Amino acid sequence: MKAVSKEKLPALLEELAKEGTLYVPSSSGDMSRFVPWKSDIQIDLDHNTTMSLKGILFPQTEVLYDYKFGEENTVEPPPPGSEKIIVFGVRPCDVQAIRCLDEVFLTRTYVDSYYKEKRERLIIISLGCTVAEDTCFCKDMGVNPVEAEGADMVLFDLDGEYGFEEKTDKGKEIAKKIASQLSETSKKKPEAPSFSLQVNSKGIVEKLQKMFERPIWEEVSQKCIGCNTCAYLCPTCHCFDINSKNTEAMKGYKYRTWDACLGKDYALMAGGHDVRPSKVERIRNRYLHKLLFFQERYGMFLCTGCGRCLRECPAGMNIAGFINQLEGVTVDG
Amino acid sequence: MASSEQNPLVPEMGTITKIIDETPDVKTFHVTTPNGKPFTPKPGQLAMLSLVPVGEAMFSITWQGDDYLEFSIKRVGVMTDALHEVEVGAAVGVRGPYGNSFPVDIMKGKDIVFIGGGIGLAPLRSLINHCVANRDDFGKLEVLYGSRSPADLVFKYDLFDNWPKVKDMDVYVTVDRGDDDWKGKVGFVPAYLEELKPSPEGKIAVTCGPPVMIKYVLQSLEKLGFSDEQVITTLEMRMKCGVGKCGRCNIGSKYICLDGPVFSLAELKKLPPEW
Repeated sequence: MKAVSKEKLPALLEELAKEGTLYVPSSSGDMSRFVPWKSDIQIDLDHNTTMSLKGILFPQTEVLYDYKFGEENTVEPPPPGSEKIIVFGVRPCDVQAIRCLDEVFLTRTYVDSYYKEKRERLIIISLGCTVAEDTCFCKDMGVNPVEAEGADMVLFDLDGEYGFEEKTDKGKEIAKKIASQLSETSKKKPEAPSFSLQVNSKGIVEKLQKMFERPIWEEVSQKCIGCNTCAYLCPTCHCFDINSKNTEAMKGYKYRTWDACLGKDYALMAGGHDVRPSKVERIRNRYLHKLLFFQERYGMFLCTGCGRCLRECPAGMNIAGFINQLEGVTVDG
Repeated sequence: MASSEQNPLVPEMGTITKIIDETPDVKTFHVTTPNGKPFTPKPGQLAMLSLVPVGEAMFSITWQGDDYLEFSIKRVGVMTDALHEVEVGAAVGVRGPYGNSFPVDIMKGKDIVFIGGGIGLAPLRSLINHCVANRDDFGKLEVLYGSRSPADLVFKYDLFDNWPKVKDMDVYVTVDRGDDDWKGKVGFVPAYLEELKPSPEGKIAVTCGPPVMIKYVLQSLEKLGFSDEQVITTLEMRMKCGVGKCGRCNIGSKYICLDGPVFSLAELKKLPPEW
């Protein structure tokens, strides 16, 4: 396998940065996220980032089009970008999240133009995990913690060096660009890490299909304060709101922002009808969307076991604990 | 349907060419674009209308002309308040058409009873007018419609003038509360339905109205012997994108904007009971 020693990583990143906008994981205070690479940047490859790479493809705020009304009425979407977007050090759980977002934004009749043009420019260089944190449960949600299926290139932490394996044509192309930086190593791919958190997701789809009307939803939703931290940190949550901002009387722009299903007015209709009037219905919809509805629609979980929501929830909500709680639930047939 | 290569979130710019006052809080708008009708929707489909600087909202397309789309809109919130304030000539954005449509092919040759309440007649009107325009494709047509008061009856010109003149078409109108001039029926729609007792034989029932009315109409239809496959309704949910991405309008794993808004009762019963 091709590899680069850890000391030589900065030189390799410098080479990668010539190919497009290079994002790397970096910490600032208690937060870490993917930021554009600069030579003096502190890269943090020890932990997964607080914020996933979701915002690179699906920005928290994104202009959909400028509009102008008057003699002539016009709408003008922003021009597509042209630079490659290279994201370095993406964990396998977050690569899986991109596969979920691809299903949402690129399939089922309509293609989201904004997502698509960035996705086509995206090159994912994943870093397989050798350590699982105590909130990690990707393996139980069907994610391979080492190989990162869906990445263009995968890195392996080989103790003192990083092994490289290209997975797609995009990955091969990038590998050619950095070939001079790489040497051959005899080391083998690392073993999957051991997980302290065990989650039993087996059979939950069939079970949840029969659990819409159950007292368990009252119980699990009790702690939720509706802050939506889970949804904002979630690498797969894709709900958005659309609003407009007038910059002049008849001129402005339409934009979308991340939105989340636990807010009070999320499903509230003009006229006052609300199919999910309390947090019981909202948490039920959230958990079922993650664990059942997305399976029914796209054949995969909308949860990759990244553990962000359980780590960061100020109220102690825990979707992994909920899945395990299902073991004790019996349903007919 | 819009091609998948077009940007589905960008509207075409149009103009309001006609406004009809239906009731104190319902107006009907004709919308057209410089290129004529923005698209040719099927009965029951939806469109997103936007108004600067207020916002964007999804409406059922009530009917269409050669060069315009028609929307009957009740004043219930911020966007509809603003729409009710505009005058002819106002600029609106329009995108669509969205959603499935009424299954006119499987309705062919059958008798159809339309059961509407309040502004719920608006989405049914596209189908009723389709049946009228293709009169020989369908059996007997019956419209049962109710509103809170005589003043709140929408499409009075259709209810009392146009539709009763159509061959083999009957219109039954009721109001929750009459007034001094009202000579017609007083009572709720589900009760009137049970009184009229339409036979389920060779018939399809299509209903839309306030949630509470729909609930009792479905019960009444069941009592009358209609099977779940013979009952069709159209749902409403809050929507933002209209194309199954923004996550807002789901019932179970279905998005109302894309997989709906039209469902048979048989289809609805497979979904979680959130509608």
